[in-house]
Amino acid sequence: MIQALVFYMFAAIAVAGGVMVISARNPVHSVLFLILVFFNAAGLFLLLGAEFLAMVLVVVYVGAVAVLFLFVVMMLDINFLRFREGFLQYLPTGALVGLVLLVELALVFGTWTFAPDAASVSAAPAPDVAAVSNTEALGRLIYTDYFYLFQAAGMVLLVAMVGAILLTLRSRPGVRKQDIARQLARRKEDTLEVRKVPSGGGI
Amino acid sequence: MPNLMPALPEIFLACAAMAILMLGVFRKKDDMRATATLAVVAFAVTALLVSGLGSERTTTFGGMFVIDGFAVFMKTLVLVASGLAVVMSVGFLEREEIDRFEYPALMVLATLGMMMMISANNLMSLYLGLELQSLSLYVMAAYQRDSVRASEAGLKYFVLGALASGMLLYGASLIYGFAGSTDFEVLARTFAGGHGAPHAGVIVGIVFVVAGLAFKVSAVPFHMWTPDVYEGAPTPVTAFFSVAPKIAAFALFVRVMVGPFGDLADQWRQVIVFISLASMILGAFAAINQTNIKRLMAYSSIGHVGYGLIGLAVGNAAGIRGVLIYFAIYLFMNIGAFAVILSMRQKGRMVEGIEDLAGLSKTSPMMALAMAIFMFSMAGIPPLAGFWGKFYVFMAAIDAGLVTLAVIGVLASVVSAFYYLRIIKVMYFDEPVESFDRPIGRAMGAILAVSAIVIVAFTVVPSPLVTEAEAAASTLFGE
Amino acid sequence: MYVAAVFLPLIGAIVAGLFGRWIGDRGAQVVTCGLVGLSAILSIPIFLAVVIGGQPQSIELFTWMQSGSLDASWALKFDTLTAVMLIVVTWVSFMVHVYSIGYMHHDHSIPRFQSYLSLFTFFMLMLVTADNLIQLFFGWEGVGLASYLLIGFWYEKPSANAAAIKAFIVNRVGDFGFALGIFGAFFLFDSVVFDAIFAAAPDKAAETVVFFGTEWHAITIICLLLFVGAMGKSAQLGLHTWLPDAMEGPTPVSALIHAATMVTAGVFMVARMSPLFEYSDTALTVVTLVGAFTAIFAATVGCVQNDIKRIIAYSTCSQLGYMFFAIGVSAYQAAIFHLMTHAFFKALLFLGAGSVIHAMSDEQDIRRMGGIWRHIKLTWALMWIGSLALAGIPFFAGYFSKDMILEAAWGAHTPVGTLAFWLGIGAAFLTAFYSWRLLILTFHGQPRADEHVMAHVHESPPVMTVPLIVLAIGAIFAGFVGYESFVGHGMQEFWGNSILVLKGHDAIENAHHAPFWVKTLPVFVALAGIAMAYLFYMFAPALPKMLAARFQGAYQFLLNKWYFDELYDFLFVKPAFVLGQGFWKTGDGALIDGLGPDGVAAASRDIARRMSWLQSGYVYHYAFAMIIGVAAFVTWYMFNMG
Repeated sequence: MIQALVFYMFAAIAVAGGVMVISARNPVHSVLFLILVFFNAAGLFLLLGAEFLAMVLVVVYVGAVAVLFLFVVMMLDINFLRFREGFLQYLPTGALVGLVLLVELALVFGTWTFAPDAASVSAAPAPDVAAVSNTEALGRLIYTDYFYLFQAAGMVLLVAMVGAILLTLRSRPGVRKQDIARQLARRKEDTLEVRKVPSGGGI
Repeated sequence: MPNLMPALPEIFLACAAMAILMLGVFRKKDDMRATATLAVVAFAVTALLVSGLGSERTTTFGGMFVIDGFAVFMKTLVLVASGLAVVMSVGFLEREEIDRFEYPALMVLATLGMMMMISANNLMSLYLGLELQSLSLYVMAAYQRDSVRASEAGLKYFVLGALASGMLLYGASLIYGFAGSTDFEVLARTFAGGHGAPHAGVIVGIVFVVAGLAFKVSAVPFHMWTPDVYEGAPTPVTAFFSVAPKIAAFALFVRVMVGPFGDLADQWRQVIVFISLASMILGAFAAINQTNIKRLMAYSSIGHVGYGLIGLAVGNAAGIRGVLIYFAIYLFMNIGAFAVILSMRQKGRMVEGIEDLAGLSKTSPMMALAMAIFMFSMAGIPPLAGFWGKFYVFMAAIDAGLVTLAVIGVLASVVSAFYYLRIIKVMYFDEPVESFDRPIGRAMGAILAVSAIVIVAFTVVPSPLVTEAEAAASTLFGE
Repeated sequence: MYVAAVFLPLIGAIVAGLFGRWIGDRGAQVVTCGLVGLSAILSIPIFLAVVIGGQPQSIELFTWMQSGSLDASWALKFDTLTAVMLIVVTWVSFMVHVYSIGYMHHDHSIPRFQSYLSLFTFFMLMLVTADNLIQLFFGWEGVGLASYLLIGFWYEKPSANAAAIKAFIVNRVGDFGFALGIFGAFFLFDSVVFDAIFAAAPDKAAETVVFFGTEWHAITIICLLLFVGAMGKSAQLGLHTWLPDAMEGPTPVSALIHAATMVTAGVFMVARMSPLFEYSDTALTVVTLVGAFTAIFAATVGCVQNDIKRIIAYSTCSQLGYMFFAIGVSAYQAAIFHLMTHAFFKALLFLGAGSVIHAMSDEQDIRRMGGIWRHIKLTWALMWIGSLALAGIPFFAGYFSKDMILEAAWGAHTPVGTLAFWLGIGAAFLTAFYSWRLLILTFHGQPRADEHVMAHVHESPPVMTVPLIVLAIGAIFAGFVGYESFVGHGMQEFWGNSILVLKGHDAIENAHHAPFWVKTLPVFVALAGIAMAYLFYMFAPALPKMLAARFQGAYQFLLNKWYFDELYDFLFVKPAFVLGQGFWKTGDGALIDGLGPDGVAAASRDIARRMSWLQSGYVYHYAFAMIIGVAAFVTWYMFNMG
């Protein structure tokens, strides 16, 4: 009972937060609402008994990603208001379509059934939750059954990294960067020249 | 320890991608000759590995990954397309001075994604393969980062692609929610006969999955990104987009639809028929007004996807055989056409207008001839290969009773003949304004010649391809 | 070896055609001549293996099309018939290739010419080696195409273009019949492969089809349709009009295509289909009649023409008539024998005529020649040999084959055969007459050309005369050498299974026992023809003019080729134009264009405009479209599933 209450609370706040993310006027607020959504999602994970995922969500998404977002949004002076032009114009149609879809999905979920052997099939690959810790269970799956997916995800991240570097990194001339190797490799002879200056003669 | 052998080509390609990256980073020069060469070699070796593995159906990694005749056929097509695309890119990128070593690496990674898609046997591996491919493509679309159009194209593609992926995931979650598994074989068993009319949730899930996949093959109404991205992206990237990812996504589409959802064909057929019709009609009509040849090719590719979808809508071995033949031919027609487009350069500047082709028959007759062959073939004029591609899908449709679809397909191809023939008219009957820069390069000439020969040769020697396609298609149906 | 013999010319054609610019004129000539020559050399061992060794071959290359029970492969079939044709085609073609080096040396597009020649050779070889009707049709259309390209080779000349188009269209009529014949054969036998058709033919001999409420003998229908195709290709009466016009092409082309090889394709095809034709007496009768009338008709026209090439063209037409009526009396062997000898002496005549034209600075009218034999003795001698062979003077090639045909026609012992025999005798007389008319007017008498031209008369270079000499050797000895095996006692052994003659159709056998007068009559009429030519053009040159004036009507009738062109013009071309005009202006322009293409096109453009308007460039429009799409699909299912 309490579980159900908590679930609906987290879920409702998450959805409301999601709506706010896209409707808030101030982009900083949007990001803050996003963080709220993440927290509630983490709460949902906790309810499912997936405490590892919950913590990772908080640490990675809230701690790193969202904060980075915040920095970017604050640093870039973008007039988000201009983006919203024409928003109202499409609101009625958009709302109508959204409503239709929502009603239909509600209908579907209202009569939801499962395949006869769904429960047994879905339980099969997971280790016994009671026996091992959450982290260990994940680890077992990721490095065994889901090894392929794990590696594939790694490749996706590699592409993301390459792409980010490719699209943003440019070597501009005249930028002074610290190159430790070069600093260390410098020797006295290269930089220092000792000259005898005759007194009174100038250089 | 999972059996790594079936995935050997993918593993090799992944290692090759990383090796190419390493080589690029540690070389002092920032050009792409070396990495491009390596990439082509990698594609060739991978293709050898793919064919060497044979077409026995094998699954590995806990059933997430499958190889069969279908996968071998499609992977070969994709590897050929990617290899040719790399070869075509080098000259262009060097002249535009955007030849960076990451480009071939990205292409290899995208191709890796495609191969993973083709071999996907689980909704999760499907998604990861798709994302690996898509992410690489987003980056490639925006690759010419100093060009506003390219950046815009990349961004649009990314945003809409994310939306499509979201839909796909949503659909997948609905299906998982019903069946409790994402494994294709389990799903197939769950939906196999017996269970009566499927649950509405499953249908909605399939609709969402179809929407996500339709985006990737750019079928109407999920096609809107295509013209903008094709026009904005650097031309070699467009050439690549129009073949390899399309073929891979189509392979995935076919595998998902006839695999796990094969027994629900009566349900999903309606959607496929609709997007097929819409794609053919839009591809035929919307291209008429285009003046930019890359945009035109975008609409043309939408139309071709529509024809391919006819085969999928049929959903039996004959239909899939038609699809396979169609895309094998499509590959060469498109690569050839883009080889011409990539050679459209006047006084060192790229041009993209259809009018710029005026009088090509007088300035470079061989190129005009090749282009005419591709255009005739795309328009489906017998006896060129393009006609047979259409013939096989239409025949399959008629045999399966989808006569309306076939008739509208024929009508659409008549309309689309208008703009293909217009290109020929411009090339052969308009007065030349200014000739293109010569020479076009040996690689380009070779690609042109090979594509044209393949198109013509299919008419004379259709049997190898048809037999291969038939064998590949039948593996999907366990015959 | 077998495959190479067929495909080498194709390689030559491709190399010369596509890379002509790089390898130059000389390169193109060397490549095409070399490859065709190689193919000609290969044809000899093939002939030996197939005919002497008695090993017919069938080489399947790969499947071409397979659809239901329609199963056609690319396959090369080599039996005696093919082997004979192979020899004729490759050697004549080789000679013409070499000859062209000299004849075309002024031309600007030599690689194109050589490439077309080689292409033609390839298609012709494809035709003769076909093992099914579809492949035969491929070669058939291919030679038609090559012929079109070569007739119109000098495409700057409007007359050449018109002739090329005429050849193509008239052949289309024949091809239509041929294609229908193929459909019919497939309909009846459920196969297009020769062996299967021939094996099934005896069982289907009595089969009938009901068509328009009447019963028809199935094989007769098929044979007649196929024969229509043969008539088109071999320029038989009715569909012959293209052949004289085709002389607009360069002379080597006339020699190769319109004398020695392509026009004989019809004869070859009917001979190949002998196991079918044998079961239809009606069809054979038709073939006999058409052949015999063509022979006499073309010979009469040939007597009054003035263009040296046209005379030879009508002569070709006439000789093809001989071959067909030989077939009509089931003397296929004699027909092919004549085909072979004819190929040699007619190619010789044409190439000799080319040499004359060459010498006379491109003059083709024999009224403006004369008295040049002293200047070009070699050509003169060779033309004599060719004419002697053509007229059937004893011991030249034509004597053996033509006499055989006439004797076989007599030996058929049928009314039609006898009619053909007498018409053939008449044609033989005329043949000799016009041949000597040509010789005398061209070479003898007083020069009628202006001095400028006469000053330039010169013998052709060796590259042109050597092929002539080779062909002349063929024209002298081919008949003598081939007689025994082609139509003599070695006949059965020689032909093997490639030609079927039913029992009772033993015209050839009877021919050997023909009475003395039958055997000698052709020679006498030939001599009479020669004598008359001498009388008319050497000793009493006023006589022809007087005759022409006296029989003005008949002369004009012949000069205008029996008014065939005018008749066709009146019957088909004019009405077609009127009809076309009517359809174009009112039907097409006003009605169909207005509602159809123009209307549809306008509508298409309108739709197109709307569709590109959809493509606004805004991401959220695009996203919106996707979501609406999904929503629509979901809604659709919701309603459908209730």
